[in-house]
Amino acid sequence: MRWLRSVSNRLRNLFRKDTLERETDQELRFHLERQITLHRATGMSPEEACRAALLEFGGIEQFKEECREARGVNRIEMLLADLRYGFRSLRKSAGFAIVSVLTLALGIGANTAIFSMVNALLLHPYNFRNLDSLVRVWEDRGIDEGYDARYIAPADADDLRSSNGIFEGLTTYSFQSFGLGTEGDVQPILGCRVSANFFDVLAVAPAAGRLFSAAEEQPGADQVAILSYGSWQRRFGGDPRLLGKTISLNGRVYAIVGIMPKDFDFPVPVELWVPLALTLAERADRRQLSLSALARIKTGVSVSQANSVLAGFSRRLEREYPKTNAGRATTLLQLRKELYMFTLPLFLLLQAAAGFVLLLACANLANLVFARMIGRQREIALRSALGASRGRLGQLFLLETLLYSSAAGVVAIATSFASVQALRTSIPVSWTKWVPGWDGIRVDGSVLAFTTLAALGVGLCLGLATMLHASRVEPNKTLKETSTGIVTRAKRRVRSALVVAQVMIALILLVCAGQTIQGFVRLASVYQGFEPASVLRVEISLPEKVYTDNVKIANFYRQVLRGTASLAGVQHASLVSNPPASNVDNETTFFSIEGRPALKVTEAPSADLQIASPDFFDTLKIASVAGRTFSDADNADAARVVVISHGMASRFWPKGDALGHRIQLGAADSTEPWLTVVGVVGDVRQNWWNPITRPVIYKPFAQSLERSMTLLLRTTSSPTSYASGVRDAVRQIDSRIALHGVNTLEEEIADSIAIVRIMGILMGIFGLMALALSSIGVYGVLAESVAQRTHEIGIRLALRANPRDLMKLILGQALKLTAIGLAIAVPCAIAISRTMATLIFGVVTVDFTILAGFTALLLLVALGAGYLPARRAIGVDPMVSLRYE
Amino acid sequence: MSKPTDLVQGTLDLLILKTIALESMHGWAVAQRIRQVSKDVLQVNQGALYPALHRLEQQGWIEAEWGESENNRRAKYYSLTKTGKKYLQSEQANWERLAAAIGQVLKTA
Repeated sequence: MRWLRSVSNRLRNLFRKDTLERETDQELRFHLERQITLHRATGMSPEEACRAALLEFGGIEQFKEECREARGVNRIEMLLADLRYGFRSLRKSAGFAIVSVLTLALGIGANTAIFSMVNALLLHPYNFRNLDSLVRVWEDRGIDEGYDARYIAPADADDLRSSNGIFEGLTTYSFQSFGLGTEGDVQPILGCRVSANFFDVLAVAPAAGRLFSAAEEQPGADQVAILSYGSWQRRFGGDPRLLGKTISLNGRVYAIVGIMPKDFDFPVPVELWVPLALTLAERADRRQLSLSALARIKTGVSVSQANSVLAGFSRRLEREYPKTNAGRATTLLQLRKELYMFTLPLFLLLQAAAGFVLLLACANLANLVFARMIGRQREIALRSALGASRGRLGQLFLLETLLYSSAAGVVAIATSFASVQALRTSIPVSWTKWVPGWDGIRVDGSVLAFTTLAALGVGLCLGLATMLHASRVEPNKTLKETSTGIVTRAKRRVRSALVVAQVMIALILLVCAGQTIQGFVRLASVYQGFEPASVLRVEISLPEKVYTDNVKIANFYRQVLRGTASLAGVQHASLVSNPPASNVDNETTFFSIEGRPALKVTEAPSADLQIASPDFFDTLKIASVAGRTFSDADNADAARVVVISHGMASRFWPKGDALGHRIQLGAADSTEPWLTVVGVVGDVRQNWWNPITRPVIYKPFAQSLERSMTLLLRTTSSPTSYASGVRDAVRQIDSRIALHGVNTLEEEIADSIAIVRIMGILMGIFGLMALALSSIGVYGVLAESVAQRTHEIGIRLALRANPRDLMKLILGQALKLTAIGLAIAVPCAIAISRTMATLIFGVVTVDFTILAGFTALLLLVALGAGYLPARRAIGVDPMVSLRYE
Repeated sequence: MSKPTDLVQGTLDLLILKTIALESMHGWAVAQRIRQVSKDVLQVNQGALYPALHRLEQQGWIEAEWGESENNRRAKYYSLTKTGKKYLQSEQANWERLAAAIGQVLKTA
């Protein structure tokens, strides 16, 4: 309170300044008059009395000033004066101001853009109530099942739901593909089967209609569906009277009871949700981990508390059902964390890179400020000789740098709206729709706060650095010198350190950028184990009602293969259940190997399952490692065979004798037929996010018929030009079949790694910024130091020094600083690359070509930065440079 | 020239506050009173009184009012505020405790 009044007094005093001045005058005069009267009374002459009074009083002007200070007018007044001065000196050196503001704006802007991404994707991926209390729950069998394999057995989920005290609610769900529509026009769509409490646990309400009731979880009563907003708009034209109408899913009639809000797309953007109605037998199943589970933790229960309760739960199940539940550990992870387990390192890398760019910009600004300060040393010296206190001068410099950084912050904020939008729209919607929170990338309150804080923080730090620097100026010495530019050794050291740091940061950033881009290229090409160029992909889904038995399905696909293979220009035509880069993981299965002891559930090996037609391996040019691939002879009547991936063969038959062995799919006591391994093929990278290549079992298409397959065509010319030919061929066989996802495989791959690509591009931009900023920095410092030596160079030249030696001298200085920077940076860059290799997809090892290349590049930049000013200085007539002050 | 800093730091404030505690006074009178009461031991540098008065006013311990002086001139009269009275009390107590303690040490040590 007192503080507040004091400030308000000061402000009031500021505006009554003249009155107060007058009053102080009056007050002091009154004092002197009384004192003079007193002395006169003792018999002094008027002059004597006056002299004595003044003497007793002391320096009037000094006390007046002290009074002003006591009233607190001075501090605010000085601040305003400094601000005015700051503006004036900014205007005077407009070039300097513009350069420093723009570089800083660039650095701050880069951070703002990345922060807007981190803010939307990591901090607010979903706008569910109390997102942090939502957790994914699954049973861990202790085997590497990949990212997507996080499931729970239905009976275990039921037990967990009814017996625990830690969850407010637990819900289960599972994805299902549906054929939407009636005969003739069946569209394949993705749906999700959910427990009745699914939306309650998420705490979302429908935009229209109602949610599912518990009764609708019973088989037979489950023919109700809730549509997604997008589906309602696209497929039903936003029909306002759609509620209560019916649709046909897989030949069954469902009533539409609700429509979800626009921004709701959990677990992924599906078209609709239907009740998860399990039969009693399915409900009681503990063997198959078939459901995904999501729970909301009770308020006040921490994740670690929940985990320990789950551990007890797992032990209990293990005791009660040792046959099925041995070795299973029920586990949970916050939904938010699960979402970005794989992309988090990328974001951190980007934010760190942006931070480095800002550091570079700061170093540049510091350089410019220091350079200007050396020019202003006389001014500083004069000011402090005239009685300006250190604090006062410090305040002046702090204000100046704060002016720069605030201006940069304003520029950054003004441009951030456009740049953040560009960032958001730079990735195709077909991909970003799978990224929760992507649409939320925008400049909001926290992004603005971040930018403001960054700008002020930079200004403060730089200002403090400048203050320290300025406090070293000794007026006595500086004023005695004749030249305007005196650079003490300490100052040169500071600026040399800046150059060294800049070169260092630049190299590290460039190497990181290079590695990321290379990793991206690797992801897009060689790493996949197949040849994606010139391949067309088409998704086909046969309606259940029409294609009721295997003979019909087999006949249809056989005709499709024959029809498309005979198109001119098509080299190979084949079918596969899950093509690479589909962004969907393969179905996984347990299997056992004939002749080896039956293993416990926990130790049973698992592998990905793929279904492929004979020409599949040729179509994608997947290498055949041993044995044979499939032929038309591997039909439903022939002996059951499989082809396995190289990774699987070397893992389970390390001696290389996989061929001829028989395997059986399913858990230990499965009744599946035995399958003979007839061939081994090269490993294929299925999806970019899987860091490990999983073992794959390929079953021949004719022995394992599926209604939904992807047709792959290898063509001799542009694959897209075959799309209409494929459509015609399929229409001739069955005009009721719709084709989807018609695209080239290359394009599909590019889309699927869009996030990695944008990361690569952003890192590239940061790398270029780093190169530009550090070039400016090195050039700036060298140009300045050469300019300061113009006089010296003139003398040397006049004394007939060899210009070449002078050039060497200057270039040597440039090279020395750069070399120090590089020497520090190289080990750092190697260490960071190593870390990146473990964190980021595609980055495999430290790439010494990249490292050497960028090191050489930076050396060249330093040479150039030294050469230009050196040539200018040497080219000047000695007579002119001798007069140079 | 003896400076106010010759007084123990902060004592000038205490002296001023105590002096105007009884009645409101202008600066010159304050200087005279301190001198008289201390029997010329404490010679307050007259000029230094005013920054101190202004500072105390700024802090809210004292308030100023223009009034007629004894010789019919306009003069600025200072008087204690409520918070100033409280402040004076606590400061005076502090001072007495300190002085007593120092005296004790000087006597016995």
